[in-house]
Amino acid sequence: MFDNYVFTKGSCKNVEKDGKTIGFSLQTLITYYRGIPCSMIHDVKVSVDGQEVDRRDIRFSPNNRDYFTLAEMETVTTYKWEYGEQATIFVEKDGGLQEGEHEITLTTAIRVAYIPVPFSGSKTRTVVIA
Amino acid sequence: MSQIKRSVSMFSLQDNYARGKMSLEDIFKFLSGLNVGMELISDQMIKGAPCPSDATLDRWDALVDRYQVGLVCNDIFINTNLYRNRTLTTKESTDLLIQEIKQANRLGFKLVRLVSMTPPEIIEPALPYAEKYNVTLALEIHAGMSFDHPMTKAFVDVIHKLASPYVGIVVDTGIFCRRHPRVSSNYFRHFGTSEAVIKYIDGIFERGTDPKRFYANQGGYPKELTDLFKNEQDETYAMFSDGYEMSEFSKLDEHMPYIKHFHGKVYEMTDAGIEYSIPYDELIRYLDEKGYRGYISTEYEGNRFVLPGDEVKEKAQVIMHQEMLKKYLDALER
Repeated sequence: MFDNYVFTKGSCKNVEKDGKTIGFSLQTLITYYRGIPCSMIHDVKVSVDGQEVDRRDIRFSPNNRDYFTLAEMETVTTYKWEYGEQATIFVEKDGGLQEGEHEITLTTAIRVAYIPVPFSGSKTRTVVIA
Repeated sequence: MSQIKRSVSMFSLQDNYARGKMSLEDIFKFLSGLNVGMELISDQMIKGAPCPSDATLDRWDALVDRYQVGLVCNDIFINTNLYRNRTLTTKESTDLLIQEIKQANRLGFKLVRLVSMTPPEIIEPALPYAEKYNVTLALEIHAGMSFDHPMTKAFVDVIHKLASPYVGIVVDTGIFCRRHPRVSSNYFRHFGTSEAVIKYIDGIFERGTDPKRFYANQGGYPKELTDLFKNEQDETYAMFSDGYEMSEFSKLDEHMPYIKHFHGKVYEMTDAGIEYSIPYDELIRYLDEKGYRGYISTEYEGNRFVLPGDEVKEKAQVIMHQEMLKKYLDALER
């Protein structure tokens, strides 16, 4: 039901640092109708061409400035992922995504106080890396 | 003359806000144009809530001053599952509620809506703060988790025990569905729910009951329903269908003194100007007879059943619902 908010169109791109491609990033809105502390983000999954990325390689940023690993996020209670704000998901990967077409899937799941199972949303997009 | 007043919940405009089509100022303008009150979800539109920065509060104050929109209710949540490895203690949850009471007071609200499943034991310790800051605490009674749910029941027991003007309930009119919302059926149909399952569940409503009671009476999904399940979407549809209840209005009789507010649920305003599932004309006559003097807040939920690629018509649906409420309220005055 919130699937339309996952994985912002056109947001997936390789990330360079000091002249080297260190991974790729993509953006997403929250799969909910309010903002929450980052510790309530239950899980983030990324897969590339059907292959799931190791969760230790994923970093999450609620503000496009400070990045957390998924393990660190469990205690991040003072940063909020605000409603309507694009969060950035960075995947550490030497060389980033290779040139050409890729099927990228993003899944996010968050804990909601009044529903026993985490709310999740998932979206696959075909991404072209030039 | 009827004492019932109208407002709009910001739940109704969530897609416009998330997509940047409406700013908070646009929303104030919209409500001011409709001449109705505002129900806010502070976690949704107030950055940093429940502890917003001074700059955020200054902007809020300026909008309130400029547009003079009545501040009716703030919807709040106690994040009892803040941590992955444990549930918050009663003390921690109470502290969060106290923080919310202070924020509501600062923003200018005299009523907060607590979401279903809020732990009942935090109300009594927070009551002195509710009194001091003049903020009433009201638990939402929502379809799927309404009066017969053990946690709702425990909460309502606390309300009746405390008998304080500062505690009460918010009733979501989704407990008065006469038929399953067809926008939801269409949405699930698009993702593969079988026609036979949709028809079976419509049939439950036609019998004058709702899926939650129907399943409960059968000790779970009846075999004739599970025999129709062909895929995961069928079971999901059956599961979500218990979120639409068909209660009698008289269910509210004993709670009337504690009802602080209504969420006027909208799944779909039809071209005929009625809500597809909920008989608002009958509801408004009932509430008027009972002397209800609070607000009915439009809560448009059809936004989550819009098919991918289709336009989300939140503003138009809100306007239609408000026009319908006004028509029924005006009719009472003749």
